[in-house]
Amino acid sequence: MTRPLLSVRDARFLRGRREILSGVDLDLPQGGIVALLGPSGSGKTTLLRAIAGLERLDGGEISTPSGILDNQTAWVPPNRRGFGLVFQDGALFPHMTAVMNTAFGLNHLAGKARRDEAMIWLDRVGLAHRAHAYPHELSGGEQQRVALARALAPGPRLILLDEPFSSLDRSLRDDLRRSTAKLLAASGISALLVTHDAEEAMEMAETIILMQEGRIVQAGPPEALYARPNSRAAARLLGPANIWTGTVREGGLDSPIGHVEAPDIPDGETAHLIVRPERTRVGSGDTFTLVTRTFRGGAVDLVTFAPDGSEWCARVAPDGLPESERAGLSASPSDVVIVRD
Amino acid sequence: MAVISVWRRRVGLPPVSVILAVTAAGVATLPLLAVLVLAVTGSGADGYLQHLASTRLPGYAANTVLVLVTAAAGAALIGTGLGWLIARTRFPGRSIFEWALALPLAMPAYIAAYGWLDLTLAAGPLGALPTVRGWWGAGVIFAVTLYPYVYLLTRDAFLRQPPHLEEAARALGRSGASAFLTIALPAARPAIAAGLALVAMEALADYGAVIHLGAPTLTVGVLRAWSGAGSLADAARLAVMIVAIALVLTTLERAGRSRARTAGQRSQPNRTALGPGAALLAIIACLTPLLLALVAPLARLAWHALHSEPARNVWNSSLNSISLAAVTACLAALFGLASAYALRSGGRFAAFPVRTAMLGYAAPGAVAAVGVLAVLGTLQSGLDRAAGGIFPVLLTGTVLALVFAYLTRFAAAAIGPCEAALGRIPPSLDEASHLAGAGPVRRFVQIHWPLASGGILAAALIVFVEVLKELPATMILRPFNFDTLAVVAHNYASDERLGQSALPALVLVALALPAMAIVARQAIAPKRIEVR
Repeated sequence: MTRPLLSVRDARFLRGRREILSGVDLDLPQGGIVALLGPSGSGKTTLLRAIAGLERLDGGEISTPSGILDNQTAWVPPNRRGFGLVFQDGALFPHMTAVMNTAFGLNHLAGKARRDEAMIWLDRVGLAHRAHAYPHELSGGEQQRVALARALAPGPRLILLDEPFSSLDRSLRDDLRRSTAKLLAASGISALLVTHDAEEAMEMAETIILMQEGRIVQAGPPEALYARPNSRAAARLLGPANIWTGTVREGGLDSPIGHVEAPDIPDGETAHLIVRPERTRVGSGDTFTLVTRTFRGGAVDLVTFAPDGSEWCARVAPDGLPESERAGLSASPSDVVIVRD
Repeated sequence: MAVISVWRRRVGLPPVSVILAVTAAGVATLPLLAVLVLAVTGSGADGYLQHLASTRLPGYAANTVLVLVTAAAGAALIGTGLGWLIARTRFPGRSIFEWALALPLAMPAYIAAYGWLDLTLAAGPLGALPTVRGWWGAGVIFAVTLYPYVYLLTRDAFLRQPPHLEEAARALGRSGASAFLTIALPAARPAIAAGLALVAMEALADYGAVIHLGAPTLTVGVLRAWSGAGSLADAARLAVMIVAIALVLTTLERAGRSRARTAGQRSQPNRTALGPGAALLAIIACLTPLLLALVAPLARLAWHALHSEPARNVWNSSLNSISLAAVTACLAALFGLASAYALRSGGRFAAFPVRTAMLGYAAPGAVAAVGVLAVLGTLQSGLDRAAGGIFPVLLTGTVLALVFAYLTRFAAAAIGPCEAALGRIPPSLDEASHLAGAGPVRRFVQIHWPLASGGILAAALIVFVEVLKELPATMILRPFNFDTLAVVAHNYASDERLGQSALPALVLVALALPAMAIVARQAIAPKRIEVR
């Protein structure tokens, strides 16, 4: 394995008495996009700001192969770290045109060379024709593309994206995500994307790091994380999940969807069964009561109640819809995960 | 632990700004402290205060209360009404009135008083009206010249209120008037209170108008104790009473303002178009205060200026006024900017000196002057003892003392606008420029100055206008034979030579009006820098 581009070890950060980061470990690989996914208040933005050098850690260390960026004794200011940052609000300088904004960080160039380089980057984000527009004359998406050009132009080793798409409307967001991912891949710059949008993280990143309450819950490729969450929190962060809690007996859980093996958990312990709605099969039977059906175009979401009163959701194809108000739910053992917390 | 980590994380604090902020705090508070010390320890003229207490003091106190209450009531009515009209309705000329209604702040109350008293004397052209004099006359003069404080703050408050609030009240069956009284007005109450506190502070600080109209307040008492009885200590004792009132008013203003600020974001204004009849009434409502505060008294003074011998020394005193006002304005803007920077970058450690400097606003001119005399007198006697009198009258009775007193009072007036101007720049812009490798100098020159210069200029101009208008501190501290426009106008007016007083008064207003127009236009401009 190659050496990571950036390592964070046991990062701690306090705001007043409140612990925002409580011991975070993280390795960013060379190249590719890593997404830091978590609800608001999980500490993901603080971690990004600490990596950028806009906050200083209260404990732990941030380092790159070439040296330590931040620990109790050493500190590299943000402008010497060689990272780019795209802010949630874009943070374009309102009194400068798009090209002036883009040229702002090109300190090693002067005059025409500087302008030309800025124009090249504006062209790469498809905004060469808007070079002389002021930020307020640009649409939200255009502003964010200029912000991206401004961050990428100085050739950073790593670009940090702080929820850059969250203030845009949906169709624009999808568009910008795709073009950003393409641009990053083409320029070979590694990126760390902070987001609270699971869909965005799964679409853009090769690796997702799940954060909650100042800790990393789980990290891995999107598919593995989605299919094999290691906790209820991790499961919920990536999308809807049926979660059923019970006590392990005879090496398994006797759930409404059947007996599921739990070989690693001793009898008598509490455990949680997790299964995604689209992996929940609906068949004939009469143990579950159908409560609502919501038509979602290609699929129908069903909400049902099990005999023990627990709620179960299933996503099924419209043609597989049961006729009656009662149905049987089940899941293949390979789609079910049992976790202890 | 936490404290140490905060210290450590406080990176890149430019020490110059903190030094200046602490200096500003010293300039603002030393005179106030000196007044307190002097009031407690100084030995006054024999029996002066006792004599005063049994003769004039009750009258001063009564006049102070009556004048302040009248001024506040009038300003509340005018300011709130106009604030709502401008914020919530649409009529021809609205966008001009929006800033023009702030212009009376350029008019010193004493000049309005000269004009109005002369107009309404039995022999004057408006002799049929009751003569504008006494406590109610002074109160009315303050109401029409100071209402813009209430107007500006309530206009802002009405703009911040979501327009749907009143619509919701109407939809629930309330009439327009009832919706205004039960929804819009209560929500604007903190802003009204803050504006009224400013009106009362200014009225409390006034000397020229109340003495001209024969309603001497405590401020007049301070000047008389100093100039008549020659007792600085007695002046300080009276000054302490003024400071006590002023501190109550400042606290009120601060509280009102912070509550007003939390009352929501400015939304897209949703204005009701007025029909022709209502629009005409609205225009009259907007013209009336301008007529009362500016046009009528200025026209009367202009008539006098044309019909009498011009005053001597108008040219010299203009130069004196302009240079004093300009120097003080620049220094105040520098202090204000430094304080704003200290607040922006220094966190809680810088907040203390800055908040202390803001206290200076509680020192009306006469109080500041007494304090400055006390501070400089102590310094002077120390110098004399140490150097054997080779620095005769170096400190007291110089222009330096004047600027000191002005800064005591007005540096605070610059801190607020500077802080607001810098505060509108989102911190993410600082961070973006830092990441792009820009140091503090480049950040200031390329980011902060272009974005905040309007607000900083406005801060300087506010101080410029205030110093032009200032009378009592100048009376106490001016060097021998050194006149400003305000002093010349006042001296002639108090000799009943209004003809000679008119020209310096007109020149003063002519200097103040354009500056105030710039400030007013700046004040009504949208406040937020839109990043998105």
